[in-house]
Amino acid sequence: MGFWPGDEWSKIRFFIMLDAVIQFFSMPLEYAFIQRALVTGVLVGTVCAVLSCFLILKGWSLLGDAISHGVLPGVALAYLFGLPILFGAFVSGLLCVLGIGWVKQQTRVKEDTVIGILFTGFFAVGLILVSKIESDIHLMHILFGSLLGISAADMGQLLMIAGGILIVVLVKQRDLQLFCFDADYARSIGLSVRGLHLLFLCLLSLCIVASMKTVGIILVIAMLISPGATAYLLTDRFDRMLWLATGTAVVSTVAGVYTSFYLDASTSGLIVLFQAGFFLATLLFSPKHGWITGKFQRMNPA
Amino acid sequence: MEFWNQLIEPFQYDFMRKAMLVGAAVGLVCAVLSCFLTLKGWALLGDALSHAIVPGVVLASIFQGSFVMGAFVAGLLSTLGIGWVKSCSRLREDAVIGIVFTAFFALGLVLRSLFPSTVDLKNIMLGNLLGISDGDAVQCLVIGAVTLGIILIKWRDLRLFCFDPKHARSMGIHTTWLYWMFLALLSLATVAALQAVGACLVVAMLITPGATAYLLTDRFDRMMVLAGIQGALTCAVGAYISWFAQASAGGIIVVLQTAIFLLAMLFAPKHGILARRRMVENSLLHHA
Repeated sequence: MGFWPGDEWSKIRFFIMLDAVIQFFSMPLEYAFIQRALVTGVLVGTVCAVLSCFLILKGWSLLGDAISHGVLPGVALAYLFGLPILFGAFVSGLLCVLGIGWVKQQTRVKEDTVIGILFTGFFAVGLILVSKIESDIHLMHILFGSLLGISAADMGQLLMIAGGILIVVLVKQRDLQLFCFDADYARSIGLSVRGLHLLFLCLLSLCIVASMKTVGIILVIAMLISPGATAYLLTDRFDRMLWLATGTAVVSTVAGVYTSFYLDASTSGLIVLFQAGFFLATLLFSPKHGWITGKFQRMNPA
Repeated sequence: MEFWNQLIEPFQYDFMRKAMLVGAAVGLVCAVLSCFLTLKGWALLGDALSHAIVPGVVLASIFQGSFVMGAFVAGLLSTLGIGWVKSCSRLREDAVIGIVFTAFFALGLVLRSLFPSTVDLKNIMLGNLLGISDGDAVQCLVIGAVTLGIILIKWRDLRLFCFDPKHARSMGIHTTWLYWMFLALLSLATVAALQAVGACLVVAMLITPGATAYLLTDRFDRMMVLAGIQGALTCAVGAYISWFAQASAGGIIVVLQTAIFLLAMLFAPKHGILARRRMVENSLLHHA
Protein backbone atom coordinates (compact mmCIF):
# COMPACT_ATOMS: atom_id res chain seq x y z
CA MET A 1 0.00 0.00 0.00
CA GLY A 2 1.86 3.13 -1.21
CA PHE A 3 0.97 6.54 0.07
CA TRP A 4 0.79 8.08 -3.37
CA PRO A 5 -0.79 7.78 -5.86
CA GLY A 6 -2.86 4.87 -4.60
CA ASP A 7 -3.82 6.22 -1.19
CA GLU A 8 -7.32 7.68 -1.24
CA TRP A 9 -6.73 9.77 1.89
CA SER A 10 -3.74 11.60 0.52
CA LYS A 11 -5.76 12.42 -2.60
CA ILE A 12 -8.51 13.87 -0.46
CA ARG A 13 -5.98 15.79 1.58
CA PHE A 14 -4.49 17.16 -1.64
CA PHE A 15 -7.86 18.43 -2.87
CA ILE A 16 -8.66 19.99 0.49
CA MET A 17 -5.38 21.86 0.32
CA LEU A 18 -5.96 22.87 -3.28
CA ASP A 19 -9.37 24.17 -2.29
CA ALA A 20 -7.83 26.17 0.55
CA VAL A 21 -5.30 27.69 -1.82
CA ILE A 22 -8.00 28.64 -4.33
CA GLN A 23 -10.08 30.03 -1.50
CA PHE A 24 -7.06 32.05 -0.31
CA PHE A 25 -6.70 33.73 -3.68
CA SER A 26 -10.34 34.10 -4.65
CA MET A 27 -11.81 35.33 -1.38
CA PRO A 28 -10.32 38.86 -1.51
CA LEU A 29 -11.50 39.17 -5.13
CA GLU A 30 -15.09 39.18 -3.94
CA TYR A 31 -14.54 42.70 -2.64
CA ALA A 32 -14.88 45.47 -5.20
CA PHE A 33 -12.20 47.59 -3.52
CA ILE A 34 -9.66 44.77 -3.85
CA GLN A 35 -10.52 44.36 -7.53
CA ARG A 36 -10.03 48.09 -8.08
CA ALA A 37 -6.77 48.06 -6.10
CA LEU A 38 -5.40 45.15 -8.13
CA VAL A 39 -6.29 46.58 -11.54
CA THR A 40 -5.07 50.10 -10.77
CA GLY A 41 -2.00 48.96 -8.84
CA VAL A 42 -0.89 46.59 -11.58
CA LEU A 43 -1.30 49.13 -14.37
CA VAL A 44 0.37 52.01 -12.50
CA GLY A 45 3.11 49.62 -11.34
CA THR A 46 3.69 48.56 -14.95
CA VAL A 47 4.08 52.15 -16.09
CA CYS A 48 6.53 52.89 -13.25
CA ALA A 49 8.51 49.74 -14.09
CA VAL A 50 8.79 50.65 -17.78
CA LEU A 51 9.94 54.18 -16.97
CA SER A 52 12.37 52.86 -14.35
CA CYS A 53 14.27 51.00 -17.09
CA PHE A 54 14.82 54.25 -18.97
CA LEU A 55 15.81 56.03 -15.74
CA ILE A 56 18.40 53.37 -14.88
CA LEU A 57 19.87 53.60 -18.37
CA LYS A 58 20.07 57.36 -18.23
CA GLY A 59 21.42 57.36 -14.65
CA TRP A 60 18.63 59.61 -13.47
CA SER A 61 17.40 57.48 -10.58
CA LEU A 62 16.84 60.37 -8.22
CA LEU A 63 14.75 62.42 -10.60
CA GLY A 64 11.72 60.50 -9.34
CA ASP A 65 12.60 61.64 -5.83
CA ALA A 66 12.70 65.27 -7.02
CA ILE A 67 9.44 65.28 -8.98
CA SER A 68 7.49 63.31 -6.39
CA HIS A 69 8.20 65.79 -3.59
CA GLY A 70 7.72 68.68 -5.99
CA VAL A 71 4.05 67.91 -6.63
CA LEU A 72 2.85 68.96 -3.17
CA PRO A 73 2.41 72.74 -3.68
CA GLY A 74 0.51 72.04 -6.89
CA VAL A 75 -1.93 69.79 -5.05
CA ALA A 76 -2.65 72.50 -2.47
CA LEU A 77 -2.93 75.33 -5.02
CA ALA A 78 -5.17 73.30 -7.32
CA TYR A 79 -7.44 72.66 -4.37
CA LEU A 80 -7.46 76.37 -3.50
CA PHE A 81 -8.42 77.46 -7.02
CA GLY A 82 -10.81 74.59 -7.67
CA LEU A 83 -8.69 73.06 -10.44
CA PRO A 84 -8.22 69.31 -10.92
CA ILE A 85 -5.75 68.06 -8.28
CA LEU A 86 -3.91 65.86 -10.78
CA PHE A 87 -3.36 68.81 -13.11
CA GLY A 88 -1.90 70.96 -10.34
CA ALA A 89 0.37 68.16 -9.21
CA PHE A 90 1.59 67.59 -12.77
CA VAL A 91 2.45 71.24 -13.40
CA SER A 92 4.15 71.63 -10.04
CA GLY A 93 6.26 68.47 -10.44
CA LEU A 94 7.33 69.55 -13.89
CA LEU A 95 8.23 73.06 -12.66
CA CYS A 96 10.36 71.51 -9.91
CA VAL A 97 12.39 69.41 -12.30
CA LEU A 98 12.78 72.26 -14.82
CA GLY A 99 13.90 74.50 -11.94
CA ILE A 100 16.54 71.93 -11.01
CA GLY A 101 17.85 71.98 -14.56
CA TRP A 102 18.02 75.77 -14.56
CA VAL A 103 19.73 76.15 -11.17
CA LYS A 104 22.26 73.49 -12.15
CA GLN A 105 23.18 75.48 -15.24
CA GLN A 106 23.58 78.70 -13.30
CA THR A 107 25.72 77.64 -10.32
CA ARG A 108 28.77 75.61 -9.44
CA VAL A 109 26.77 73.44 -7.04
CA LYS A 110 26.64 69.72 -7.89
CA GLU A 111 23.53 68.22 -9.44
CA ASP A 112 22.46 66.01 -6.52
CA THR A 113 22.81 68.96 -4.15
CA VAL A 114 20.63 71.10 -6.42
CA ILE A 115 18.04 68.33 -6.55
CA GLY A 116 18.01 68.16 -2.75
CA ILE A 117 17.68 71.93 -2.33
CA LEU A 118 14.85 72.44 -4.79
CA PHE A 119 12.66 69.46 -4.01
CA THR A 120 12.75 70.19 -0.29
CA GLY A 121 11.95 73.83 -1.06
CA PHE A 122 8.93 72.81 -3.11
CA PHE A 123 7.85 70.30 -0.49
CA ALA A 124 8.15 72.88 2.29
CA VAL A 125 6.02 75.39 0.37
CA GLY A 126 3.45 72.66 -0.17
CA LEU A 127 3.50 71.79 3.52
CA ILE A 128 2.84 75.39 4.53
CA LEU A 129 0.03 75.71 1.99
CA VAL A 130 -1.60 72.48 3.14
CA SER A 131 -1.39 73.58 6.76
CA LYS A 132 -2.91 76.98 5.92
CA ILE A 133 -5.68 76.00 3.51
CA GLU A 134 -8.78 74.55 5.07
CA SER A 135 -9.18 71.51 2.91
CA ASP A 136 -10.00 67.87 2.89
CA ILE A 137 -6.56 67.02 1.49
CA HIS A 138 -5.23 64.15 3.57
CA LEU A 139 -1.49 64.72 3.69
CA MET A 140 -0.88 61.17 4.88
CA HIS A 141 -2.80 59.81 1.87
CA ILE A 142 -0.62 61.84 -0.46
CA LEU A 143 2.54 60.70 1.31
CA PHE A 144 1.66 57.02 1.58
CA GLY A 145 -1.13 56.50 -0.96
CA SER A 146 -4.37 54.68 -0.37
CA LEU A 147 -4.53 51.91 -2.93
CA LEU A 148 -7.29 50.05 -1.10
CA GLY A 149 -9.40 53.20 -0.91
CA ILE A 150 -9.45 54.10 -4.60
CA SER A 151 -12.87 55.09 -5.91
CA ALA A 152 -14.26 53.96 -9.25
CA ALA A 153 -13.93 57.50 -10.64
CA ASP A 154 -10.27 57.71 -9.54
CA MET A 155 -9.65 54.33 -11.10
CA GLY A 156 -10.98 55.48 -14.47
CA GLN A 157 -8.77 58.55 -14.37
CA LEU A 158 -5.65 56.62 -13.35
CA LEU A 159 -6.21 53.94 -15.98
CA MET A 160 -6.48 56.61 -18.66
CA ILE A 161 -3.27 58.32 -17.54
CA ALA A 162 -1.37 55.05 -17.25
CA GLY A 163 -2.67 53.79 -20.57
CA GLY A 164 -1.74 57.08 -22.23
CA ILE A 165 1.82 56.95 -20.90
CA LEU A 166 2.24 53.33 -22.01
CA ILE A 167 1.02 54.11 -25.54
CA VAL A 168 3.36 57.10 -25.89
CA VAL A 169 6.31 55.05 -24.60
CA LEU A 170 5.52 52.20 -27.00
CA VAL A 171 5.22 54.55 -29.99
CA LYS A 172 8.38 56.46 -29.10
CA GLN A 173 10.35 53.54 -27.63
CA ARG A 174 13.20 53.60 -30.18
CA ASP A 175 13.75 57.33 -29.88
CA LEU A 176 13.58 57.35 -26.08
CA GLN A 177 15.97 54.39 -25.90
CA LEU A 178 18.48 56.15 -28.13
CA PHE A 179 18.08 59.35 -26.12
CA CYS A 180 18.89 57.46 -22.91
CA PHE A 181 21.75 55.38 -24.30
CA ASP A 182 23.54 58.01 -26.31
CA ALA A 183 22.08 61.49 -26.58
CA ASP A 184 24.90 62.71 -28.85
CA TYR A 185 24.22 60.00 -31.39
CA ALA A 186 20.49 60.72 -31.19
CA ARG A 187 21.22 64.35 -31.99
CA SER A 188 23.51 63.46 -34.85
CA ILE A 189 20.81 61.42 -36.62
CA GLY A 190 18.42 64.35 -36.41
CA LEU A 191 16.31 63.55 -33.35
CA SER A 192 15.23 66.50 -31.25
CA VAL A 193 17.00 65.69 -27.99
CA ARG A 194 15.46 68.66 -26.25
CA GLY A 195 11.98 67.59 -27.31
CA LEU A 196 12.60 64.01 -26.16
CA HIS A 197 13.96 65.28 -22.84
CA LEU A 198 10.83 67.33 -22.25
CA LEU A 199 8.59 64.46 -23.36
CA PHE A 200 10.33 62.12 -20.96
CA LEU A 201 9.99 64.56 -18.05
CA CYS A 202 6.29 64.97 -18.84
CA LEU A 203 5.76 61.20 -18.90
CA LEU A 204 7.62 60.85 -15.61
CA SER A 205 5.59 63.61 -13.94
CA LEU A 206 2.33 62.09 -15.17
CA CYS A 207 3.39 58.69 -13.86
CA ILE A 208 4.22 60.13 -10.44
CA VAL A 209 0.94 62.01 -10.32
CA ALA A 210 -0.90 58.77 -11.03
CA SER A 211 1.14 56.95 -8.37
CA MET A 212 0.30 59.63 -5.81
CA LYS A 213 -3.09 57.96 -5.37
CA THR A 214 -1.77 54.41 -5.28
CA VAL A 215 1.51 54.15 -3.36
CA GLY A 216 2.03 57.79 -2.39
CA ILE A 217 4.82 60.20 -3.26
CA ILE A 218 7.50 58.69 -1.04
CA LEU A 219 7.35 55.08 -2.10
CA VAL A 220 6.89 55.89 -5.78
CA ILE A 221 10.63 56.59 -5.66
CA ALA A 222 11.15 52.86 -5.11
CA MET A 223 8.69 51.94 -7.86
CA LEU A 224 10.73 54.11 -10.24
CA ILE A 225 14.09 52.51 -9.35
CA SER A 226 13.80 48.94 -8.07
CA PRO A 227 12.16 47.11 -11.01
CA GLY A 228 14.57 48.60 -13.53
CA ALA A 229 17.56 47.94 -11.27
CA THR A 230 16.50 44.33 -10.72
CA ALA A 231 16.08 43.77 -14.44
CA TYR A 232 19.39 45.48 -15.17
CA LEU A 233 21.19 42.91 -13.04
CA LEU A 234 19.53 40.07 -14.95
CA THR A 235 19.99 40.96 -18.59
CA ASP A 236 22.01 43.07 -20.98
CA ARG A 237 19.24 43.51 -23.54
CA PHE A 238 16.87 46.42 -23.22
CA ASP A 239 13.71 44.72 -24.49
CA ARG A 240 14.18 41.86 -22.01
CA MET A 241 14.87 44.40 -19.29
CA LEU A 242 11.48 46.02 -19.95
CA TRP A 243 9.67 42.68 -19.65
CA LEU A 244 11.53 41.60 -16.53
CA ALA A 245 10.96 44.93 -14.80
CA THR A 246 7.26 44.82 -15.63
CA GLY A 247 7.05 41.23 -14.40
CA THR A 248 8.60 41.97 -11.00
CA ALA A 249 6.44 45.07 -10.60
CA VAL A 250 3.21 43.21 -11.39
CA VAL A 251 4.02 40.26 -9.12
CA SER A 252 5.05 42.63 -6.30
CA THR A 253 1.86 44.63 -6.63
CA VAL A 254 -0.41 41.56 -6.55
CA ALA A 255 1.55 40.03 -3.66
CA GLY A 256 1.49 43.34 -1.81
CA VAL A 257 -2.27 43.79 -2.16
CA TYR A 258 -3.00 40.21 -1.02
CA THR A 259 -0.60 40.36 1.91
CA SER A 260 -1.96 43.70 3.06
CA PHE A 261 -5.49 42.28 2.86
CA TYR A 262 -4.63 39.33 5.10
CA LEU A 263 -2.25 41.10 7.50
CA ASP A 264 -4.12 44.39 7.56
CA ALA A 265 -0.83 46.21 6.96
CA SER A 266 0.31 49.12 4.81
CA THR A 267 -0.28 48.24 1.12
CA SER A 268 2.29 50.56 -0.38
CA GLY A 269 4.90 49.49 2.18
CA LEU A 270 4.36 45.82 1.34
CA ILE A 271 4.51 46.38 -2.43
CA VAL A 272 7.85 48.15 -2.05
CA LEU A 273 9.13 45.46 0.32
CA PHE A 274 8.29 42.77 -2.26
CA GLN A 275 10.13 44.76 -4.91
CA ALA A 276 13.11 45.10 -2.60
CA GLY A 277 12.92 41.34 -1.99
CA PHE A 278 13.10 40.70 -5.74
CA PHE A 279 16.08 43.02 -5.95
CA LEU A 280 17.87 41.32 -3.07
CA ALA A 281 17.24 37.85 -4.50
CA THR A 282 18.58 38.99 -7.86
CA LEU A 283 21.59 40.57 -6.23
CA LEU A 284 22.42 37.27 -4.55
CA PHE A 285 21.45 34.73 -7.22
CA SER A 286 21.55 36.47 -10.61
CA PRO A 287 23.21 34.02 -13.04
CA LYS A 288 25.73 36.50 -14.42
CA HIS A 289 26.24 39.18 -11.81
CA GLY A 290 25.03 37.48 -8.61
CA TRP A 291 26.94 37.70 -5.34
CA ILE A 292 26.53 34.06 -4.30
CA THR A 293 26.61 32.67 -7.84
CA GLY A 294 29.77 34.71 -8.39
CA LYS A 295 31.43 33.22 -5.32
CA PHE A 296 30.36 29.76 -6.41
CA GLN A 297 31.82 30.28 -9.87
CA ARG A 298 35.09 31.53 -8.44
CA MET A 299 35.29 28.40 -6.29
CA ASN A 300 34.62 26.07 -9.25
CA PRO A 301 36.07 27.72 -12.33
CA ALA A 302 34.59 25.70 -15.19
CA MET B 1 4.01 99.66 22.10
CA GLU B 2 1.15 97.39 21.16
CA PHE B 3 3.12 96.20 18.17
CA TRP B 4 6.22 95.63 20.28
CA ASN B 5 4.23 93.57 22.75
CA GLN B 6 2.98 91.42 19.93
CA LEU B 7 6.49 90.90 18.63
CA ILE B 8 7.84 89.65 21.94
CA GLU B 9 4.75 87.64 22.77
CA PRO B 10 6.19 84.30 21.56
CA PHE B 11 9.11 84.71 23.97
CA GLN B 12 6.74 84.65 26.93
CA TYR B 13 5.80 81.05 26.32
CA ASP B 14 7.94 78.25 27.55
CA PHE B 15 7.32 75.99 24.55
CA MET B 16 8.23 78.76 22.09
CA ARG B 17 11.52 79.51 23.84
CA LYS B 18 12.25 75.79 23.90
CA ALA B 19 11.36 75.39 20.20
CA MET B 20 13.61 78.28 19.15
CA LEU B 21 16.52 77.06 21.27
CA VAL B 22 16.29 73.44 20.11
CA GLY B 23 15.72 74.56 16.54
CA ALA B 24 18.79 76.76 16.58
CA ALA B 25 20.96 73.98 18.04
CA VAL B 26 19.77 71.36 15.55
CA GLY B 27 20.02 73.82 12.67
CA LEU B 28 23.58 74.72 13.63
CA VAL B 29 24.77 71.11 13.81
CA CYS B 30 23.07 70.07 10.57
CA ALA B 31 24.44 73.12 8.79
CA VAL B 32 28.02 72.41 9.86
CA LEU B 33 27.65 68.80 8.70
CA SER B 34 26.14 69.98 5.42
CA CYS B 35 29.44 71.68 4.54
CA PHE B 36 31.23 68.33 4.63
CA LEU B 37 28.43 66.67 2.69
CA THR B 38 28.53 69.34 -0.01
CA LEU B 39 32.27 69.01 -0.25
CA LYS B 40 32.22 65.24 -0.44
CA GLY B 41 29.32 65.15 -2.92
CA TRP B 42 27.23 63.06 -0.55
CA ALA B 43 24.20 65.31 -0.57
CA LEU B 44 21.78 62.44 -0.94
CA LEU B 45 23.10 60.46 1.97
CA GLY B 46 21.08 62.76 4.23
CA ASP B 47 17.99 61.96 2.18
CA ALA B 48 18.68 58.25 2.56
CA LEU B 49 19.40 58.39 6.29
CA SER B 50 16.38 60.47 7.18
CA HIS B 51 14.05 57.90 5.64
CA ALA B 52 16.02 54.84 6.65
CA ILE B 53 15.85 55.53 10.37
CA VAL B 54 12.05 55.22 10.44
CA PRO B 55 11.97 51.42 11.04
CA GLY B 56 14.44 51.92 13.89
CA VAL B 57 12.15 54.42 15.55
CA VAL B 58 9.11 52.16 15.14
CA LEU B 59 10.95 49.10 16.46
CA ALA B 60 12.29 51.09 19.39
CA SER B 61 8.79 52.14 20.32
CA ILE B 62 7.43 48.59 19.95
CA PHE B 63 10.11 47.26 22.33
CA GLN B 64 10.04 50.45 24.41
CA GLY B 65 13.69 51.12 23.79
CA SER B 66 15.43 54.41 23.16
CA PHE B 67 14.30 56.13 19.94
CA VAL B 68 17.71 57.61 19.39
CA MET B 69 19.39 54.23 19.70
CA GLY B 70 16.89 52.58 17.33
CA ALA B 71 17.20 55.33 14.76
CA PHE B 72 20.97 55.32 15.03
CA VAL B 73 21.25 51.55 14.46
CA ALA B 74 18.81 51.64 11.53
CA GLY B 75 20.73 54.53 9.99
CA LEU B 76 24.05 52.73 10.26
CA LEU B 77 22.55 49.48 8.92
CA SER B 78 21.20 51.31 5.89
CA THR B 79 24.58 52.86 5.10
CA LEU B 80 26.21 49.45 5.50
CA GLY B 81 23.55 48.06 3.15
CA ILE B 82 24.19 50.80 0.59
CA GLY B 83 27.93 50.10 0.73
CA TRP B 84 27.46 46.36 0.35
CA VAL B 85 24.99 46.56 -2.54
CA LYS B 86 27.21 49.05 -4.33
CA SER B 87 30.27 46.84 -3.96
CA CYS B 88 28.58 43.78 -5.45
CA SER B 89 26.45 45.21 -8.24
CA ARG B 90 27.06 47.25 -11.35
CA LEU B 91 24.43 49.85 -10.45
CA ARG B 92 25.16 53.51 -10.03
CA GLU B 93 25.37 54.78 -6.47
CA ASP B 94 22.25 56.93 -6.62
CA ALA B 95 20.13 53.98 -7.76
CA VAL B 96 21.50 51.87 -4.89
CA ILE B 97 20.78 54.63 -2.37
CA GLY B 98 17.24 54.94 -3.72
CA ILE B 99 16.53 51.21 -3.46
CA VAL B 100 17.97 50.74 0.02
CA PHE B 101 16.40 53.75 1.71
CA THR B 102 12.96 53.16 0.24
CA ALA B 103 13.13 49.51 1.34
CA PHE B 104 13.99 50.57 4.89
CA PHE B 105 11.26 53.16 4.84
CA ALA B 106 8.72 50.65 3.53
CA LEU B 107 9.69 48.27 6.32
CA GLY B 108 9.05 51.04 8.84
CA LEU B 109 5.68 51.76 7.30
CA VAL B 110 4.63 48.09 7.39
CA LEU B 111 5.79 47.69 10.99
CA ARG B 112 3.90 50.83 11.95
CA SER B 113 0.72 49.52 10.32
CA LEU B 114 1.07 46.17 12.14
CA PHE B 115 1.47 47.93 15.51
CA PRO B 116 -0.77 50.95 15.03
CA SER B 117 -0.55 52.49 18.47
CA THR B 118 3.22 52.90 18.61
CA VAL B 119 4.38 56.21 17.16
CA ASP B 120 2.63 59.06 15.45
CA LEU B 121 3.73 58.75 11.83
CA LYS B 122 2.79 62.36 11.15
CA ASN B 123 5.29 63.58 13.75
CA ILE B 124 8.05 61.46 12.22
CA MET B 125 7.32 62.68 8.71
CA LEU B 126 6.68 66.34 9.43
CA GLY B 127 8.29 66.97 12.81
CA ASN B 128 6.77 68.68 15.79
CA LEU B 129 9.16 71.40 16.91
CA LEU B 130 6.58 73.46 18.78
CA GLY B 131 5.31 70.45 20.68
CA ILE B 132 8.66 68.95 21.62
CA SER B 133 8.74 67.40 25.08
CA ASP B 134 11.30 68.39 27.74
CA GLY B 135 13.04 65.02 27.52
CA ASP B 136 13.32 65.19 23.73
CA ALA B 137 14.55 68.76 23.90
CA VAL B 138 17.33 67.83 26.31
CA GLN B 139 18.20 64.85 24.12
CA CYS B 140 18.42 67.07 21.02
CA LEU B 141 20.64 69.58 22.83
CA VAL B 142 22.96 66.86 24.14
CA ILE B 143 23.22 65.19 20.73
CA GLY B 144 23.84 68.58 19.16
CA ALA B 145 26.56 69.51 21.63
CA VAL B 146 28.35 66.15 21.33
CA THR B 147 28.23 66.17 17.53
CA LEU B 148 29.40 69.75 17.30
CA GLY B 149 32.18 69.12 19.81
CA ILE B 150 33.53 66.13 17.87
CA ILE B 151 33.37 68.05 14.60
CA LEU B 152 35.21 71.03 16.05
CA ILE B 153 37.96 68.80 17.42
CA LYS B 154 38.30 66.76 14.23
CA TRP B 155 37.39 69.27 11.53
CA ARG B 156 40.83 69.48 9.94
CA ASP B 157 41.04 65.71 9.54
CA LEU B 158 37.48 65.56 8.29
CA ARG B 159 38.10 68.34 5.79
CA LEU B 160 41.14 66.59 4.41
CA PHE B 161 39.19 63.33 4.28
CA CYS B 162 36.44 65.01 2.27
CA PHE B 163 38.73 66.90 -0.09
CA ASP B 164 41.31 64.23 -0.74
CA PRO B 165 41.04 60.87 1.04
CA LYS B 166 44.25 59.56 -0.55
CA HIS B 167 46.28 62.45 0.75
CA ALA B 168 44.66 62.04 4.17
CA ARG B 169 45.68 58.39 4.22
CA SER B 170 49.23 59.21 3.21
CA MET B 171 49.43 61.65 6.11
CA GLY B 172 48.66 58.77 8.47
CA ILE B 173 45.03 59.66 9.16
CA HIS B 174 42.85 56.63 9.72
CA THR B 175 40.27 57.26 6.97
CA THR B 176 38.09 54.19 7.54
CA TRP B 177 37.69 55.20 11.14
CA LEU B 178 36.91 58.79 10.11
CA TYR B 179 34.37 57.53 7.59
CA TRP B 180 32.44 55.61 10.22
CA MET B 181 32.72 58.43 12.70
CA PHE B 182 31.28 60.79 10.13
CA LEU B 183 28.39 58.46 9.34
CA ALA B 184 27.67 58.07 13.06
CA LEU B 185 27.63 61.86 13.53
CA LEU B 186 25.37 62.21 10.52
CA SER B 187 22.94 59.61 11.88
CA LEU B 188 22.88 61.35 15.26
CA ALA B 189 22.22 64.75 13.70
CA THR B 190 19.48 63.27 11.52
CA VAL B 191 17.77 61.80 14.57
CA ALA B 192 17.84 65.15 16.31
CA ALA B 193 16.62 67.02 13.24
CA LEU B 194 13.84 64.51 12.69
CA GLN B 195 12.09 65.81 15.79
CA ALA B 196 12.42 69.37 14.62
CA VAL B 197 11.42 69.30 10.96
CA GLY B 198 10.53 65.67 10.16
CA ALA B 199 11.90 63.04 7.79
CA CYS B 200 10.85 64.80 4.58
CA LEU B 201 12.67 68.03 5.32
CA VAL B 202 15.81 66.90 7.20
CA VAL B 203 17.38 66.61 3.76
CA ALA B 204 17.13 70.36 3.34
CA MET B 205 18.82 71.07 6.68
CA LEU B 206 21.67 68.77 5.61
CA ILE B 207 22.16 70.27 2.15
CA THR B 208 20.93 73.81 1.74
CA PRO B 209 23.05 75.78 4.29
CA GLY B 210 26.27 74.15 3.05
CA ALA B 211 25.40 74.78 -0.58
CA THR B 212 24.53 78.42 0.16
CA ALA B 213 27.82 78.96 1.97
CA TYR B 214 29.65 77.24 -0.87
CA LEU B 215 28.37 79.96 -3.21
CA LEU B 216 29.51 82.71 -0.86
CA THR B 217 33.09 81.75 -0.08
CA ASP B 218 36.03 79.63 -1.22
CA ARG B 219 37.47 79.03 2.24
CA PHE B 220 36.27 76.07 4.21
CA ASP B 221 36.43 77.59 7.69
CA ARG B 222 34.36 80.58 6.54
CA MET B 223 31.96 78.20 4.83
CA MET B 224 31.35 76.39 8.13
CA VAL B 225 30.74 79.64 9.98
CA LEU B 226 28.39 81.02 7.32
CA ALA B 227 26.45 77.78 7.05
CA GLY B 228 26.22 77.48 10.84
CA ILE B 229 24.86 81.00 11.22
CA GLN B 230 22.36 80.42 8.46
CA GLY B 231 21.21 77.09 9.88
CA ALA B 232 20.80 78.36 13.43
CA LEU B 233 19.08 81.61 12.42
CA THR B 234 16.64 80.08 9.94
CA CYS B 235 15.54 77.45 12.48
CA ALA B 236 15.02 79.93 15.32
CA VAL B 237 13.34 82.51 13.08
CA GLY B 238 11.27 79.79 11.42
CA ALA B 239 9.92 78.65 14.77
CA TYR B 240 9.24 82.31 15.67
CA ILE B 241 7.36 82.99 12.44
CA SER B 242 5.33 79.82 12.75
CA TRP B 243 3.81 81.30 15.92
CA PHE B 244 2.31 84.15 13.87
CA ALA B 245 1.63 82.23 10.69
CA GLN B 246 0.05 79.28 12.47
CA ALA B 247 1.68 77.03 9.87
CA SER B 248 4.09 74.09 9.87
CA ALA B 249 7.36 75.17 11.54
CA GLY B 250 9.41 72.67 9.52
CA GLY B 251 7.96 74.02 6.30
CA ILE B 252 8.75 77.64 7.19
CA ILE B 253 12.32 76.79 8.21
CA VAL B 254 13.03 75.05 4.92
CA VAL B 255 11.36 77.75 2.84
CA LEU B 256 13.60 80.32 4.58
CA GLN B 257 16.69 78.23 3.83
CA THR B 258 15.72 77.76 0.19
CA ALA B 259 15.00 81.49 -0.18
CA ILE B 260 18.45 82.35 1.18
CA PHE B 261 20.01 79.88 -1.24
CA LEU B 262 18.19 81.50 -4.16
CA LEU B 263 19.30 84.97 -3.02
CA ALA B 264 22.90 83.76 -2.76
CA MET B 265 22.60 82.23 -6.21
CA LEU B 266 21.61 85.60 -7.64
CA PHE B 267 23.72 88.01 -5.62
CA ALA B 268 26.78 86.11 -4.34
CA PRO B 269 29.85 88.36 -4.75
CA LYS B 270 31.88 85.97 -6.87
CA HIS B 271 29.82 82.94 -7.85
CA GLY B 272 26.41 84.63 -8.16
CA ILE B 273 24.59 84.88 -11.47
CA LEU B 274 24.76 88.70 -11.52
CA ALA B 275 28.43 88.80 -10.56
CA ARG B 276 29.36 86.38 -13.31
CA ARG B 277 27.30 88.27 -15.85
CA ARG B 278 29.11 91.46 -14.87
CA MET B 279 32.44 89.65 -15.17
CA VAL B 280 31.62 88.43 -18.69
CA GLU B 281 30.56 91.95 -19.73
CA ASN B 282 33.74 93.45 -18.30
CA SER B 283 35.96 91.01 -20.11
CA LEU B 284 34.06 91.68 -23.35
CA LEU B 285 34.58 95.44 -22.89
CA HIS B 286 38.21 94.80 -22.19
CA HIS B 287 38.67 92.89 -25.41
CA ALA B 288 36.75 95.43 -27.47
